[in-house]
Amino acid sequence: MPFLAGALAALGAGWVGFPHAIYKSRPQPVDFSHKVHAEKAGTKCEDCHAFREDGTFAGIPSLSTCAACHTAPMGTTAAEKNFIDAYVTPNREPDWASYAQQPENVFFSHITHVKLGQLKCEQCHGDQGASDKLRPYQVDRISGYSRDIWGRTLFQSKAAGAVPGMKMDDCVDCHRKQGLSHSCLDCHK
Amino acid sequence: MQRTRRDILLFMGGGAAGAMLTPAPWRLVTDAAIWSENWPGIPRPARGEITARYTNCALCPAGCAVRARCVAGQPVSLAGVAGNPLSQGAPCAFGLTGHQLPYHPQRLKQGTPEEAAAAVRGAMAKCGPGESVAVLDLAPGRASSWTYRRAMAAVANGVYLAPPRPLGGAAVNLAKARTVLSLGAPVLDGWGTPGNVHAARANFRLIQAEPWESRTAALADEWLPIRPGSEAALALALKDPKTAPSAAQATGLTEKQILDLANELTASGPALVLSADDLPEALALNQALGAWGQTLVARPEVPVPDAWKKAAPERVVASVPDSSIRVLFIDESVPGSHIPWSAVEKKLVRDNPVVVAFAWSLEGYGRHAQFTLPTAVYPELTSDIPPAIDSPAATFRISAPLVAPPARMTDPSAFIAKAAGMDAGNALQERADAIHKSGRGTLFTYADGKSTPLKDIKPDAFWKSLNEGACWVDDAAVGRASWPAFLSSPHDTQAEPQSTAFPLLVAFAEPRTASLTSPLMSKLYQDSDLRMAPNTAALHPDTARASGIAGAARAVLETQYGRCAIGVIPDESVPPGMLEVAAGPEVLDICGAFTRAKVVAA
Amino acid sequence: MIAPNSKSQPSRERQRAVSRYGMSIDLDRCTGCGACMVACAVENNVPPAHEGATARKGITWIRVFKVDNGEEGAARRSVFVPVLCQQCGEDTPCVHVCPQQAVEVDPATGIVGQMPERCLGCRYCMAACPYHARFFNWWDPQWPAGMEKTLNPDVAPRMRGVVEKCNFCHGRWHAAKERAAAAGKSEIEAGAYVPACVESCPTGAIRFGDLKDAASEPAVAAKDAHSFRLLEKLGTEPKIYYHSKRDWVRQVAAAPKPPNGKENARG
Repeated sequence: MPFLAGALAALGAGWVGFPHAIYKSRPQPVDFSHKVHAEKAGTKCEDCHAFREDGTFAGIPSLSTCAACHTAPMGTTAAEKNFIDAYVTPNREPDWASYAQQPENVFFSHITHVKLGQLKCEQCHGDQGASDKLRPYQVDRISGYSRDIWGRTLFQSKAAGAVPGMKMDDCVDCHRKQGLSHSCLDCHK
Repeated sequence: MQRTRRDILLFMGGGAAGAMLTPAPWRLVTDAAIWSENWPGIPRPARGEITARYTNCALCPAGCAVRARCVAGQPVSLAGVAGNPLSQGAPCAFGLTGHQLPYHPQRLKQGTPEEAAAAVRGAMAKCGPGESVAVLDLAPGRASSWTYRRAMAAVANGVYLAPPRPLGGAAVNLAKARTVLSLGAPVLDGWGTPGNVHAARANFRLIQAEPWESRTAALADEWLPIRPGSEAALALALKDPKTAPSAAQATGLTEKQILDLANELTASGPALVLSADDLPEALALNQALGAWGQTLVARPEVPVPDAWKKAAPERVVASVPDSSIRVLFIDESVPGSHIPWSAVEKKLVRDNPVVVAFAWSLEGYGRHAQFTLPTAVYPELTSDIPPAIDSPAATFRISAPLVAPPARMTDPSAFIAKAAGMDAGNALQERADAIHKSGRGTLFTYADGKSTPLKDIKPDAFWKSLNEGACWVDDAAVGRASWPAFLSSPHDTQAEPQSTAFPLLVAFAEPRTASLTSPLMSKLYQDSDLRMAPNTAALHPDTARASGIAGAARAVLETQYGRCAIGVIPDESVPPGMLEVAAGPEVLDICGAFTRAKVVAA
Repeated sequence: MIAPNSKSQPSRERQRAVSRYGMSIDLDRCTGCGACMVACAVENNVPPAHEGATARKGITWIRVFKVDNGEEGAARRSVFVPVLCQQCGEDTPCVHVCPQQAVEVDPATGIVGQMPERCLGCRYCMAACPYHARFFNWWDPQWPAGMEKTLNPDVAPRMRGVVEKCNFCHGRWHAAKERAAAAGKSEIEAGAYVPACVESCPTGAIRFGDLKDAASEPAVAAKDAHSFRLLEKLGTEPKIYYHSKRDWVRQVAAAPKPPNGKENARG
């Protein structure tokens, strides 16, 4: 009995308590809705998450991209008003947290995967474009890695906007399946 | 139910077994591994858009064209501009680390300009008869230099001082040379414009006459190992073969070698003779060989506005009477020649002279000045770069800033002009306009690699291009003028005679710079032994022993100009009787041209 | 896992052309100026020398040595030899000995890629390397305040306790591949990528290219009678070809001991 009790307690702590403790959560600085921008403004992924001429990826758009339209309120939401007051007017860059943040020693080329590999954004990043809210950014307290790199696990549902994994194993798996090279030098700096 | 110890142990066992089936322990292990690899304090490079920006390097008169790789506007690495007509895309180790200078730990961050200005005003008012206000400009020929000259002309007793121009201001046309005799000049190790020298290398036979196997000697077509201090005797004998026997004795060469060399210089011309420090005998030899108009030419002046012509003349420090300068401004903001401090100090009045140095560190004249006002450092500063010694054409290029200088930096031109009651204006743009008015020459722009005749460019476009990386070259033909008087008159530099007090001859083993260099240069002298660290010297073990120094040690270097602390390295390849030194500011303070020295244990 | 995209390229096009990058170094041109050494440090985020660093403990992925013919005085002749990772092609010693598989020979480029993030710092590879081309981070990197702004984002800085070495500036290779991908190409063109030392050499002594491309300078140098490689008899098949027309230089390179008898017994 005590053994079982101990086991159950550990399982509970490990599966429920531990994730709660190991991850530090913070909300994104702005309550941004991809869905609104996709539907109402008709923007596609590349309109804001752009490629530069030399092929490098600009990542999360800087304030100037947003301010191009939002110098004055375009809607009636409180979120937009907050954004303009806190960031556009004082010309302050929001400190977005990137769910897909990779460690310093990883080299990932977006253009190679998009143009040569012909991958769609959703295949790795999930259907962010359809999300109405940005989920909070959860980061592992010890390693500093984002929780999202673990991707869709046994207990994460599709509906929660879960994404495929972005760990090294996931990248290597796909490269293997595609018959592409996956030596160390391909991805590491 | 009683809880026994067994129950507790079973509970803990169950807990352990259960924990194994949860992610917790496995995750903690991986996280610990990752955490151990990501030590805080290891910086993460900043990301951003990568762009190329162009400028010219202000670290030496070569003024090599520079392409900076910038991340979000911050230069992270520098490279040359291939195809540049002047520098051929070859910056040196100093130039490659120039973008790190703004972050040098010894960079001066603040000064007291108001105090300095007040002291200057007070001292200028106190100037008596025979006393003067002087500017010592270590990099003459710039637009700022003209501002100083105009300022000194505006002040009643103003004097403009500059180091003596190498070769008297003449220029070397290396492309024309077929035989080059170098008497210790570091032709392949920092002389002139390195890219230009290497591009022309295949066209001439290089004979290096030097006591030790320098880098140039190792790669020259022929190395003549002469005895230390015998360069003048060799040059005399090559001009006048009757003195060959005594030259053979002085140099240690055979008479035949000297006569063969003399024949080669005349038969395989055009010839050029270079020496480490403007030996009068070398200049006379050039004249005899007919170098003037061929390999030594008069460079046309880079145009200046007519209004500037009312400017104080350029004078050397030695021409000023002793104890006559009451206010001295020293412009050290751009690296240039170095004049030993004792030679300068004796020109200052005895009672409370005011010395204001403009520098980006305290390591140069800042050690001696009352006020050192911090200036912008390359690549923050804006300055033009005078033509290099191996540019036969007039050139104009601007070192335009790649990063913004910190707040509270002083602009030497503005300060000195204000002290002289003059408006400095925008001297650089005025000079660019004057050049544009002349209508001569071509503009080479770095971004697109195009050469455009100046007359096809509008003035605004000219100024804009100059600030975005370009060089103007006046490739008009240089006429054959007569041998200028200054090249044959008694020269400022005379080789010091040997004496028992100062038995060793000083030679510079590394490119001479009084300026601090990037901390990354320690790759060359601390992480390896390729170069010597600044303020170190190499001595033959016998010479070291005779000076009372055992092995690598700290020592004191003494010359007629003063003393300073150096590190000594024993090296058998250094001839006895010589001291090969890697100069830093302290050493350059006490070593001029052909200096004799002695070394004692510290 | 990500499902293969139905529009992806057929597999035979995915087999890339394999390159074998190598260098040729002309010892008759090297002036020992050290530009390559500092350009390498700038490109690869190598910090300035630590206080305790010496020629044995410092990090110099490329290092220029001065070698002489052993004579004294007027008969002395010197040559400057830049030594970097020789990118051994056969029986690569460091790859053999690494317990962590932190180094491998990249099949697509022939570059011997050192992965500091996998290294545990045992330094077995440093003992195995016959060319002294590997360097240990005895200290954490320290840049003077503000100088970390000049770090290159294409190369990750290393912490203490790991070994690092020349990777033929593969950060530049990554950038070249990305530019090619932007233009829709899967292979980079010859000359699109040169390491920092090659780009910075003022005399053009160091040349870089694909040894499989018969027209490239290293491939041409490899066939030249005056070319040699360091320690060829060890069978490591290095990809760096040194060249000198001076006989004594080639003799010194091939000699079993240094001419002046002073061996570097401490390694």
